[in-house]
Amino acid sequence: MAERGLHVTCSEVVELVTEYLERALPAEEATRFEEHLNFCDGCIVYVEQIRATVGTVGRLHEDDVPPHAKEQLMAAFRDWRRSP
Amino acid sequence: MTHARTQPSIDTRAADEAELLARLRDGDERAFEMLVDRHYGTMLAVARGYVKSRAVAEEVVQEAWLGVLKGLDRFEGRSSLRTWIIRIVANIAQTRGAREARSVPLSSLAPEGEEAAVDPDRFRGRDDAFPGHWRAYPSDWRALPEHALLGRETLALVMAAVSELPPAQRQVIVLRDISGLSSEEVCEALDISGGNQRVLLHRARSRVRSALEAHVDG
Repeated sequence: MAERGLHVTCSEVVELVTEYLERALPAEEATRFEEHLNFCDGCIVYVEQIRATVGTVGRLHEDDVPPHAKEQLMAAFRDWRRSP
Repeated sequence: MTHARTQPSIDTRAADEAELLARLRDGDERAFEMLVDRHYGTMLAVARGYVKSRAVAEEVVQEAWLGVLKGLDRFEGRSSLRTWIIRIVANIAQTRGAREARSVPLSSLAPEGEEAAVDPDRFRGRDDAFPGHWRAYPSDWRALPEHALLGRETLALVMAAVSELPPAQRQVIVLRDISGLSSEEVCEALDISGGNQRVLLHRARSRVRSALEAHVDG
């Protein structure tokens, strides 16, 4: 990875945002990330877009159990219960 | 918060799981149906990270459930029931995927190559007074009406964007952001490092954000 300067740039913020949100950034880098957000409205908006994306993805549902699969599984459970 | 997912505390979950296990071992059909309803979608998402088609993924999940039944009496609760179940499906799917890989390229869980989260042209170049800074700021979605991000049309678009992701990225974003697994659970279930998991999640979220941006900003 290229050596980072004293300041984080916008193009670096968009690559660090997940590590930041996951609290996986080393303390010093997290501080520089936050300092950047203090003066950069574009990056504040970008981080909010990522949060909004996570929120929207979170509204999706997992796949339901297909009925035929459920029937097979219930039958397998009954067999299992009967087995010694 | 745009949505609230209530996560039961570890203690509640453990007590809940112990009770469920006791009922399962007693042969309680409703308890088993509950278990299937609760974990099927997550299992399918895991399986789809390793095998080519949804049909094969469904077969893998069925096989995994038979493995769950076989192991139920020996399950000791060292990991959560969910993690244990996901490990079973991941193992079966990996084996199946490796077999498929003789004819199909294998999707690897190790992130490959570089992939920019945002088109590099949107940042100022090296010769600029502010290299690496936005040429134009992204738009502020906080000013949008709620339906712009949560309406049916948007959700359909986001679902399509998620399903078009490379398998390993799709697997991680579904497990984290839809199934609600913690990063530790995902790493344990898929046997990947925290770093790999974050790279996959990062690429997945970045791609979905781009799709959403193209839709929202038109």
